[in-house]
Amino acid sequence: MTGASTWVGGKLVALLEQRDDVTVFAADEIDPVVRFTSPFARLAMDRTELAYHLLDIAPDVVIHLLTVDRSIEMGSHRAREESIRGNQALLGAIGRSTTVRHVIVKSDASRYPSGPRNPSIMSESTKGSGTPSRYGREIADMERSVAAAAPHHPDVTYTVLRLAPIFGADIVNPVSSYLRLRVVPTRLGFDPRIHLIHQDDAVQAFVAALASAPAGAFNVATTGPLYLSRILRLGRRVAQPLPKRPFESALDALQRTGLHMPSHLPIMLQSGLVLDTEAMTGTLGFTPALNARQTVLAGYGRLPVGGSL
Amino acid sequence: MTDRDDLLTLRKTELAALARAYGIPGRSKMNKTELVEAIIDHRLTLTGPEMDSRSAGTGPATGPDDGEVSFRSKGGAGQRRSRRGPGGRDADAPRIDATGADNAQAAPPGWDALFQFLDSTQSTARRTALRERHRAFFDFDRPCRWRSIEGHVCRLPSTVESANCALHGGLDIVDLALPVAGHLGFDTWPELVRHLALATYDVDPIGLDPVVAEMVWHLVNFLYFDYFRVEVTGVEHIPATGGAIVVANHGGGALPYDAFMLTSAIANEAAVPRRLRVIGTEVFDMLPWVSHMYRKSGGAYASRADADYLLSNERLLGVFPEGERGFMKPVWEAYEVQRFGRGGFVEMAEHHGVPIVPAAIVGAEETHPVVGVSETLAKLVRMVLPQQRVDKMAVVLNPIPLPVQFHIRFLPPVTPAGIETAADPLAVLERTEQIQQSIQTALDGMLRDRRSPFS
Repeated sequence: MTGASTWVGGKLVALLEQRDDVTVFAADEIDPVVRFTSPFARLAMDRTELAYHLLDIAPDVVIHLLTVDRSIEMGSHRAREESIRGNQALLGAIGRSTTVRHVIVKSDASRYPSGPRNPSIMSESTKGSGTPSRYGREIADMERSVAAAAPHHPDVTYTVLRLAPIFGADIVNPVSSYLRLRVVPTRLGFDPRIHLIHQDDAVQAFVAALASAPAGAFNVATTGPLYLSRILRLGRRVAQPLPKRPFESALDALQRTGLHMPSHLPIMLQSGLVLDTEAMTGTLGFTPALNARQTVLAGYGRLPVGGSL
Repeated sequence: MTDRDDLLTLRKTELAALARAYGIPGRSKMNKTELVEAIIDHRLTLTGPEMDSRSAGTGPATGPDDGEVSFRSKGGAGQRRSRRGPGGRDADAPRIDATGADNAQAAPPGWDALFQFLDSTQSTARRTALRERHRAFFDFDRPCRWRSIEGHVCRLPSTVESANCALHGGLDIVDLALPVAGHLGFDTWPELVRHLALATYDVDPIGLDPVVAEMVWHLVNFLYFDYFRVEVTGVEHIPATGGAIVVANHGGGALPYDAFMLTSAIANEAAVPRRLRVIGTEVFDMLPWVSHMYRKSGGAYASRADADYLLSNERLLGVFPEGERGFMKPVWEAYEVQRFGRGGFVEMAEHHGVPIVPAAIVGAEETHPVVGVSETLAKLVRMVLPQQRVDKMAVVLNPIPLPVQFHIRFLPPVTPAGIETAADPLAVLERTEQIQQSIQTALDGMLRDRRSPFS
């Protein structure tokens, strides 16, 4: 499993290693934030090292979480080439391996372009119009290489999970850090529908994909969206509506203070992004434990611990 | 033959006005020669070859037309023609206008009805009836059992068949247009605002927010019952369950009042009150405040995916296929149904196997009479709101809508022919035209029947 250093990755390893029938080999570039006992290899993801490591351990299942280099969200140009090479090497190794029968790839809802010319609900087959962000293009590129590899290896099942922005107390990602601001800049006159997934549900989605092993891409999100104004009210945050230019400058200023504010965020905070979750509950056989409202409350740490949901 | 020669000397706009007065179907698509032929045919079928029998203005042909023609002659082709003076060549044509002008002098049609909207006896009765109908769905003695995870209670009444209120699973609030508080009224707003602030309920993926929708509905009902005094017939054609597409003519110029009235008509009058999810132009999605208020009150955007989603979830879809063409047409072309797009809605209905209910709406065209379409005005708007994609704007004279009376007639549903039809472009176009024609015919009939726009 790659990308074990993230919270979701680490939790997934910790969850899987409790099972008797599973041995986990984890790998990532940096040290994990969650403690687990399984063997961990610290490897550079952009090299062929990872591919040889994979051939050495000869796994049945590959869970590929670190699909896009972390620095790409920060806007590094060098990273693009390297993440493509890393994916290429990994997919090549999977093809060469004789043991791998299931590959789970983490993708991201930012592969869908947001914006007013798009359908209100993004299903797995929606192309969408408008130019996606750099990060979105990267994700789409990665998915395309997975889709291209699939027909060459009919004995391997490729499952792609397109996760809505993960929200949770332990998560650091653009949407989470944006929503957790004390005073939140919003677009004046716009109230986007935001579709999230709770951190625990994100982990469970991978467990479900492991169990049902369906082929294809699946959106993963709570059963319904919430309006941004409602989310902020549930989190007791103060919304500061701003016109377009000041709003973009405010996000730029936040970026300079060290938060990720990728280029797809402004348009998403104007038009919203909602995923079609029909295939998730149907083919993937996964229903999130928390609904939209509970996800938001949990993300803000306001869900009573041990209380009945 | 002299008849035809006379007609041929007229300008096309004048012929169009004549055709409109006669209620000739399909006139907006005809060229000049076709118009002339159609007018002659119409005269022959009505009164036979002797046209002179109609000159007194009391003949059977002009009789039912009187009110309408005389009203139109105020702003339409009649005025222009009379300015040209007593030209001998208009031997036949001006007679219609002449009769209209005579009538106008005798009794100004409908002006007495201008202030009818101030009389509230009828609207009060209709509101009471609506309240009674809503009452049947709720049990006001049992409050909703729902509790939020933080311990907030819900004070809304539960529905008759469930222990919860309409917001918290008591009934399918996305499909049924019912007030979650049990009735519509400002006294329910504090509780509604509380639920809004606590976000105690789910919104549907397209964005319908039942609480905001209820507030909008309540406000629109002032227009519906009191100002526009909407009269509805044929509402039994709206299916009680399952998907359906309601197709209507469009007009108005300033604000799409017809969409509001159509939605309220189904919510207020149908035996099973349902939400009409109107498909609107995606330009709305770029306009501040409009974009989310439109979604929250139940709108969707003109994309195949949105329509597919709503129909596969068995919702009621509202479509105005004329779009901008119908909305911005000038007042002298009022109630001439424009081209119905490429028939995407027929394809959609055949694909999903749902019926199409055509609806004819009379009244919207006179709320803000459009006197022209301006690109300069649109440029000015773009200067103030640089991000908005506004190509042209209708020029209207009145800032507040005129107190016209709306009439909405739902026509018998067109049942789907089968999925093969969706793949046959010719069949789709034929059905589209057939529906357009039926709406035009209904409109012409309704226009003949009304005394003036205000009553």
